[in-house]
Amino acid sequence: MEPRQFPFLQTKMISPIKVWRRQKEIRKLLGQRGKVLTWTQIYVAGPNFKQYAPYPVVLVKLDDGQKVFGQLVDYENKDLKINAKVVSVLRKVRETDHDDVIAYGIKFKPL
Amino acid sequence: MVSVVGYYTTQFGELWSKSLFSLINEAIKGALTNANLDKKQIDAIFFGNMMAGVLEDNLHSPAKIAEMLGINIPIFRVESACASGGVAFHLAKNYLEAQSAKTVLVAGAEKMNDYSPEETTAALVTAASGEEQEAGLTFPGLYAMMAQVYLNSYKYSEKELAYVSYKNHYHGSLNEKAHFRKKITVEEVLKSAYVAYPLKVLDCSPISDGASAVILTSDSNLIKKAKAKVDVLASEVATDTISLKGRQKLDAILSTKIAADKAFTKAKITREDISIAEVHDCFSIAELLAMEDLGFWPKGQAGKRIKELSTMYGSGGRLIVNTSGGLKASGHPVGATGVKQIGEIFLQLTNQANSRQVKKAKYGLTHNIGGSGGTAAVSIFTN
Amino acid sequence: MIGVVSYGFYIPKYRIKIGDIAKIWGKNPDDIINSLKITEKAVSGIDEDSLTMAFESSQMAFSDTKIRKNEIGVVFVGSETHPYVVNPTSTILAEFLEIEKHYLAFDTQFACKAATGAAIAAAGLIKSGFTDYALVCAADKSTGSPHDALEYTAASGSVSLILGKKDLVLEIVDYTSFSSDTPDFWRREGIRYPSHGGRFTGKPSYFYHVEQASKELFKKTNLRSEQFSHAVFHMPNGKFPIQVAQSLGFDNKQMVTSLVVSYLGNSYSASALMGLVSTLEIAKEGELIFFVSYGSGAGSDAFVFKVTANLAKRRRQFTQAVAQKKYIDYPTYLKFMKTI
Repeated sequence: MEPRQFPFLQTKMISPIKVWRRQKEIRKLLGQRGKVLTWTQIYVAGPNFKQYAPYPVVLVKLDDGQKVFGQLVDYENKDLKINAKVVSVLRKVRETDHDDVIAYGIKFKPL
Repeated sequence: MVSVVGYYTTQFGELWSKSLFSLINEAIKGALTNANLDKKQIDAIFFGNMMAGVLEDNLHSPAKIAEMLGINIPIFRVESACASGGVAFHLAKNYLEAQSAKTVLVAGAEKMNDYSPEETTAALVTAASGEEQEAGLTFPGLYAMMAQVYLNSYKYSEKELAYVSYKNHYHGSLNEKAHFRKKITVEEVLKSAYVAYPLKVLDCSPISDGASAVILTSDSNLIKKAKAKVDVLASEVATDTISLKGRQKLDAILSTKIAADKAFTKAKITREDISIAEVHDCFSIAELLAMEDLGFWPKGQAGKRIKELSTMYGSGGRLIVNTSGGLKASGHPVGATGVKQIGEIFLQLTNQANSRQVKKAKYGLTHNIGGSGGTAAVSIFTN
Repeated sequence: MIGVVSYGFYIPKYRIKIGDIAKIWGKNPDDIINSLKITEKAVSGIDEDSLTMAFESSQMAFSDTKIRKNEIGVVFVGSETHPYVVNPTSTILAEFLEIEKHYLAFDTQFACKAATGAAIAAAGLIKSGFTDYALVCAADKSTGSPHDALEYTAASGSVSLILGKKDLVLEIVDYTSFSSDTPDFWRREGIRYPSHGGRFTGKPSYFYHVEQASKELFKKTNLRSEQFSHAVFHMPNGKFPIQVAQSLGFDNKQMVTSLVVSYLGNSYSASALMGLVSTLEIAKEGELIFFVSYGSGAGSDAFVFKVTANLAKRRRQFTQAVAQKKYIDYPTYLKFMKTI
């Protein structure tokens, strides 16, 4: 688990209310197909995401036209390309500390 | 007419023994000395800074500056992420044109090295949208996404990006105040480790401390007496969506284009008139996009043109870009950058740029971006 | 008649070979593989947990049904690795599934039989008229302390059942439950990894409870082992279910399809149910399935299921899903399990 070593982050728990509001938006985006508009692979991440690095992030245009950012999971390197077809899945997006509410959110899986 | 009559910048780099406010103090006092003015002659201060609140719980900087200088004048803190300095300047110019004052000081400062790179990365990403942050994006990541689209659309590779860093590091070697004085090669850029594919360590501007200040006046007496002065022909600010996904195009910064078009209209000159420019190269890709968005190079051509190195000092090119070393080599203390850019153009147009002096420059331009393009500030100057 | 209207499952993409774990600890891989009869196990990613897996299996369960979400009056999630000690997985799951809001929800824990016990309760709620449909999920991201025997078997997975009283794919003919206080496997609050009683987990625990529940169900239904086409038992390893099946009079042919543990590991609350999902891929109309779960602590839920004509049109493709796999090494496994 990420140790609480940074003074300013120590006081910053993920607000459970923000998580609650956000999750109402997230559920509308689950299980939707789309294609990758652009992508990158993050090697140097901030403290909240360090445990996942390196990880790819994609910007996806869903079939309904909406654009959504998310990490790409369960992928092979050949899946990292513009126009790749993906589907949105539910995953943990943030989990900084044992005391925090777990933030679940959208990530993408290659189709 | 509003004119810049003084400029001072601190060293940019890892300034362990300097705190944020000691840097601000040095920049302000330095600018006053440079302009041969007393602090009593300053009517207001505009101060650009992005992260003092987030990193060191340090807000209400106006009162802190008032205490430091022993003054009671109006002081305004401005924040637009990395465009804080350029936007502070824009507000100062407008303040003078509104005749609220006659002489103002614009300072920008940032203290980034008191914190680990991860803390700083996390603080910087507050300038991105909540969704971008939640997806684990960083600023290198956002610009990397833009680079992917650009390189893919115009069939360029990472090599084209490397020329920006190569050129700007050469310029940095000519600027005694730059964070990096060392020249680098294109090969070294290509061999550096990835930060966010396809951007590598040497495609990214560093984490720097620093402060810069300029003095602006509309007072005709001061302008007449000034040792060096540069007129502000235009200063325009434009905004766009915070989120990259909301932009019209993923490989162009619309706010730059809007601000630039307005600035050139206001200044009544053309792109060809500009012989020196400081553009926002937070990442190598950003300089390529800036050259296109500002209208200097046609869309899609920057990758080809950068390799010709016509914008490098000593090339004899018509337009030299980022003689300060840009953000890449001069460093990027976020709040200070916009002011430093203006100061560099001031030095160039007043023949004070020493070993990197561009000859016979008449018109200069500064271009300062916030975040991934949510804010753009473009100013045009003449001597 | 109450039964299963629809079902879903989720197996994460990653696998680790048991032999690779054995090598790290200086053990002979063949010894471990032969004694446990497991070659590899399923591992979930660093950003997966029981909730995300339960969501995947529930989505599959709902995928081709016409059941409206507001007809679900009961949501139960059984797990030994709920994301929170206090804060129900069942309501987070229901929210993401857009089941709102007039429903009864609770989480259960009873080691590997957390979900099957909940299924019995759900069946009762349908029978009493409280609800027409119930969603019962099993999900676990099971852990074993590094260098402990559990490390070879503890795996991830999820199975969801939508129970109802019409349009069934599987009828619940009858069931029974057998419980006692038997400390064969436990985990105190705040302690990361479970502890277990070694060989005590065998005869007095697994075998005793499975056998007693089975014998009681044979009596209750007046059925004999030969009348069943398939048998599914909880799978803590590849040996115990075969041994208990034999002692109850089942032969290997009845067992073979359900033995998913040998290539998926033990997904705890989802373990026996995953064996059932595998069996349903090939089960035919009219066939009887004998199903017994086991939860340490301890207890067994035994069911007799009957396959209906509807299964043929609605069975899930298990074998091809299992084939979607990617091997990882031990350090990656530790990273995914947040051990390092």
